[in-house]
Amino acid sequence: MIALYQHRPSPVHQLHPLTKLAISFGVIVLALGLGVDWVPLVLYLLVLVPLSALARVAGPFVRTSLRILLPFAISLFVIQSLFFPEGNTILARLGPLSIKAEGVRFAFAGTVRILLMAGALLLTLLTTHPGLLLTGLVQKGFPPALAYVIVTTLQIVPQMRERASTIIDAQRARGLETQGSLLVRARALLPLIGPLVLGSLLDVEERSLALEAHVQRHNAQDQPLPSAGPHLGAGAQMVDCAGHARGDWLPAC
Amino acid sequence: MIPLALEEVSFTYPSGVTALREISLTVAPGESVALIGQNGSGKTTLARHLNGLLQPSSGRVMIGDWDTRQHTVAKLAARVGYVFQHPEHQIFKRSVQDEVAFGPRNLGFAPARVAQLVEQALQATQLSTVADQHPHDLLPALRKRVALASVLAMDTPVVVLDEPTTGQDAQGVRAIGEIVERVRAGGRTIITISHDIDFCADHCSRLIVLGGGRVLLDGPRETVFAHGDILEQTAVEPPQLVRLAQRLRLPLAWEPQPLLAALEQSQRQR
Amino acid sequence: MIQLRNVSYTYPEATTPALNGISLDIAAGEVCAVIGPNGAGKSTLCYTIAGFAPYHFRGELTGEVVVDGRRTVEHPLGELVKHCGLVFHNPLNQISGARYTVREEPAFGLENLGMPRPYMQARVNDVLELLGIAALAERSPFELSGGQQQRVALASILVMGPRVLLLDEPTSQLDPHGTKEVFAAIKALSQTGVTVVLIEHKPELVAEFADRVIVLHGGQVQLDGAPRAVLADPRLPPLGVSVARYTQLAHTARERGLWPAQAPLPVTLDETVAGFELPSINPSSSRPAHGSGQ
Repeated sequence: MIALYQHRPSPVHQLHPLTKLAISFGVIVLALGLGVDWVPLVLYLLVLVPLSALARVAGPFVRTSLRILLPFAISLFVIQSLFFPEGNTILARLGPLSIKAEGVRFAFAGTVRILLMAGALLLTLLTTHPGLLLTGLVQKGFPPALAYVIVTTLQIVPQMRERASTIIDAQRARGLETQGSLLVRARALLPLIGPLVLGSLLDVEERSLALEAHVQRHNAQDQPLPSAGPHLGAGAQMVDCAGHARGDWLPAC
Repeated sequence: MIPLALEEVSFTYPSGVTALREISLTVAPGESVALIGQNGSGKTTLARHLNGLLQPSSGRVMIGDWDTRQHTVAKLAARVGYVFQHPEHQIFKRSVQDEVAFGPRNLGFAPARVAQLVEQALQATQLSTVADQHPHDLLPALRKRVALASVLAMDTPVVVLDEPTTGQDAQGVRAIGEIVERVRAGGRTIITISHDIDFCADHCSRLIVLGGGRVLLDGPRETVFAHGDILEQTAVEPPQLVRLAQRLRLPLAWEPQPLLAALEQSQRQR
Repeated sequence: MIQLRNVSYTYPEATTPALNGISLDIAAGEVCAVIGPNGAGKSTLCYTIAGFAPYHFRGELTGEVVVDGRRTVEHPLGELVKHCGLVFHNPLNQISGARYTVREEPAFGLENLGMPRPYMQARVNDVLELLGIAALAERSPFELSGGQQQRVALASILVMGPRVLLLDEPTSQLDPHGTKEVFAAIKALSQTGVTVVLIEHKPELVAEFADRVIVLHGGQVQLDGAPRAVLADPRLPPLGVSVARYTQLAHTARERGLWPAQAPLPVTLDETVAGFELPSINPSSSRPAHGSGQ
């Protein structure tokens, strides 16, 4: 599977793309606006999951949203339950560390919000032909080039996952330990994220070139697409930034 | 220096596609082997078994006395170095020499040894003059050599190269050929995955031809190139000079000298 | 069809020009291969003809570039791309992902041109047929092989009806089978009268498909002529360009009197076979060696 869109005969697929986008955002605003921890989870389970079943994409919907959620959930729970600053209620002790109830609650609230936001957008993407979404956005006055980049980039998210797994393989083959303690995993982050970010920037550059070659713009006065430049100065800078940042939050590699 | 052995290795991807079917073969220390065959023939799947990135669904893979199932990829990296096709998948340091030092440091070598290995690898790949540059400021073809150097510096007894010549110009291909010869001369085992059959004919003394997850042919160049019909099954064309020799009905040759000698003889006879 | 007059181009923030005083005339319908070592300016030449330099990359362009009667600096890029298509080496990055099937993908460009639907469908069908991918029309472009994907990318450029097609190493990411498929497609479309500029490393492919070969080095044209002449030129190896093994062999053979001294060096397998099968060879007429870099 490379593209997200799932072709099915369903009433959800028939809806106007912008209607679906509006529902997605409506659900998100409702969930965040009420400010009650469990509301996003309820909306996910009682609104989004049934809608995905109606659209006959329940399987991919639940699988993909959990896959997106998992890394966030793990890091939120590990970090917040152990290090939540205002935590007083101790649930359990792990040597010098203790798990605090306030932290667990905070992590839960964050996790279900991410679940809802990812789920709401995912449902639209799974049930909306990317071309229709693109046309819908452009008809409402969205700049075509920007709409194209957003829509096609969302479609290649699965491609990114493939790239990420190749990068992990390439670095493990160079002796990088990716399994084990938290410290070991934290050390492994930079060698994985660096090539991922840079590779994606290269792709965006190439895709924007290809776009210019394919598309006669609706308005010839449009500015050219933002470019990473032929020598990828921006990409190199990003990696530099990642390198600088490492000193602040990771032990030296 | 260590031997490699695949013992009745089969492999099926989670998607249900069977990529390897009961492959058994051994590679002696110091051999230079090419894995050839069309896309989907199982070349890369086979190579990824050598450093544990993939584990056989049945059968086993022995790297010297190690069964790959009993060691992590990071541990196996000390025995089998693997250069991926796209350098973009691995480069993340801000200088060529830091990038090259990453592997040997992971293997826990002492700093003096790391420095020495890095220097040797940079020399072998003719990158010494750009050691302090940012890898992404180099031309893509040179970046590929950075990836090669970063694996050579790990000083593994076995080195796997995945498509080492793609995107290289004439000089780049020649430079990579020289690196392969130098690594061979050092007694290390080299396994090259490549569609560049002329490169394989120049630098690999044994060819393993894969098709549909099986070994179709395995042997020295003269044996493998003689089986044009089997090569065709997996979309491999023999090297240019082999094709020329065949068209001229001369004895099989992939190097100019024997072919010229044969030409001389046949013209004298006329 | 394509005229360059003393064209130089420097990328932003670069100190040396990527193209340095290039003058060229490429006739309508010509298939012109551009070869040269990495960094010679081959891709930049394509970008300049297409108007991407300086439109997309900014930077500084001097001299005059005229494509199909239009000076590139006087027209917006959006108009230039209708007449001059550009295909890159990585097929995946050229597939929009905004369309679901192979048939819809090329239509994406046409919709942007505001073309009427029936005309559009007929045109897409013709192009898919020409490139040998009509049977794949209902498949998703993402599940195809590299060679098939590259032909989809080619199709979405061709439907716009460009008179000039620029191909930047279209097969460098493909296996030999995919390469063959794409070159068969290029051959088919060159017979429709499109002017083709093709960047390609492999001399045996250039010899087979090009009418003309230009060698770039250091942003300048070093050699320019028919494939037979250029691909056998002894100056190629010093310029960092690979020479087919047949050509190298015949060169050595000529020194030893095994190849007719007066005959040109071969650049394809067929020419080589024919040359060596010639009965009359005079060993005494062997020429002194030149271009010994081979």
